[in-house]
Amino acid sequence: MFFRVIVLILMSFSFISCSKGPLNSSNHQANMEKLDKIYGKCKNPHRQYKPIERKVCEDKQRAAGPDGVVGDPIDITEIIDRVRGVGGNTIAVSDTNNQLWDASLQVLNGFSLKITDYDGGYIETNWINSSNLPDQRCLIKSHITSQELISTGVKVKIICEKLVNDEWYLSSESFVNDEKKLTLKILETAQTLANT
Amino acid sequence: MKKLSYLVSAVAAVFAANAHADVSVSGSADIGYLSDVTGDGRISMGSGVVFGLSTTTANGIGMSTGLSVTVDQDADNAAAAGGGQSMTFTTGGATIVVGDVELGDTPGSVGGTVGNLVGDVGQFDSDVRTGFKDDDGTGVTLSTAAGAATITVGYIMNDNTNNSVNITDATDTMSSFSVSMPMGNFSISAGIADHDNGETASGASVSAAMGAGTLTVGYSNQTLNLTSTASGTYSVSAASGLVGSAAVTDTDLAVNGDSEVIGATYSMSLDADTSIAVGYQSAKDADSDSTTRFDISLSRSLGGGASVYLDMRTLNGDVDTNGGGTAMGFGTAVSF
Repeated sequence: MFFRVIVLILMSFSFISCSKGPLNSSNHQANMEKLDKIYGKCKNPHRQYKPIERKVCEDKQRAAGPDGVVGDPIDITEIIDRVRGVGGNTIAVSDTNNQLWDASLQVLNGFSLKITDYDGGYIETNWINSSNLPDQRCLIKSHITSQELISTGVKVKIICEKLVNDEWYLSSESFVNDEKKLTLKILETAQTLANT
Repeated sequence: MKKLSYLVSAVAAVFAANAHADVSVSGSADIGYLSDVTGDGRISMGSGVVFGLSTTTANGIGMSTGLSVTVDQDADNAAAAGGGQSMTFTTGGATIVVGDVELGDTPGSVGGTVGNLVGDVGQFDSDVRTGFKDDDGTGVTLSTAAGAATITVGYIMNDNTNNSVNITDATDTMSSFSVSMPMGNFSISAGIADHDNGETASGASVSAAMGAGTLTVGYSNQTLNLTSTASGTYSVSAASGLVGSAAVTDTDLAVNGDSEVIGATYSMSLDADTSIAVGYQSAKDADSDSTTRFDISLSRSLGGGASVYLDMRTLNGDVDTNGGGTAMGFGTAVSF
């Protein structure tokens, strides 16, 4: 018994070492998402589910359908009206995904917002200053470009300026990695919102 | 310019350090009509709610557990509480579950597509036994990645306990190992499992995109021990107490030996809201019982968390009395 536990612990450490370290999420999460697509999230052999958790997962999967998005409820009255040729009102629908919108607001919650335009899916913060670094300032722009919850549905841009001789000058530095972090955080939060 | 990066890092750190405890509630309800294998009509309803408790430490380690209240659809049941017997640690690069875990004892076994209504309420009773006598208990599982491969190892210290175990005196242990990895256009999953009582299992499945859907083919081999149960009739007599006859009879497996399962599933989406899946499974055990099973499942999302489904299963071969035939059910499920 003791020997087996020791072997298991040693195997665990070796696997974690081979997996770019325990805090590296890229490979494991990406692999799990690929397996979810093949087996379905609820039947992925590498996920641990209790029976009721699996049942809820399967019902959610069926509710979401093949595209993975829980759409708006079907309006039977609207369908009947359409068949009868009644109505005919044109309703403008925003291209902004609700989960991505709510997630963007949630992630940028700590900053004062300058622009929040739901129809355009656009959020922009005011200038963010730090008392430790008075000669620098940044702002964040978030643009939701999709009606569906997809990984390319949100674009984040960080703009920074530097104070030189009492004039603010745009920084030419690239913040691609930080923009990626923010984008991932918004997507992660949106996914959580979609699952609850 | 370097300092500017510090400011951006400080801004980004706000999101990384946003650790907080979270309580989430999710659930689902399912009601359907079923024509079971005997031809009887049934209406069956089940529901469940899961309370997820989680937190993330400042350095990004997630810790979670969950409790549930369930009304099981399989029979006439009252609500029952469960869960809370394991804790999950996620580091992003690995997921570790400690406590009551279930290990894969039928690796490579595929072919099932129907849901709970037809699969469990349909009254199927096969004579072919697959799977270990017990595959869950107090233990630990670790799932992580090694390159493009996903690896899961598991160890049960005692399959007679769930959330509390005497490790020193434990005897009924089980271990498992499984790996999934892409190989060209295919995805391969393979696994092995081993139990203290001598039962072992190994198998593999291969998946590939074919046409508009995904085809999965699998093979599983399990070396199992025979099962037996006491059965008979008993009555209480005022003169002689408990009287009756008891006989130890085999249920599904009369001898120790190998069970083999070969199966395939094909699933595809008909549109953004409609999916169809078909499955086939052939199984044979050591006492020469064999069955073939065919599944078909059609599901459509209605939006708003609701869906409707139609499931059908046919089981032929060596089955118990009234345990084989065709069951068909349809119903609706809603998730919250």
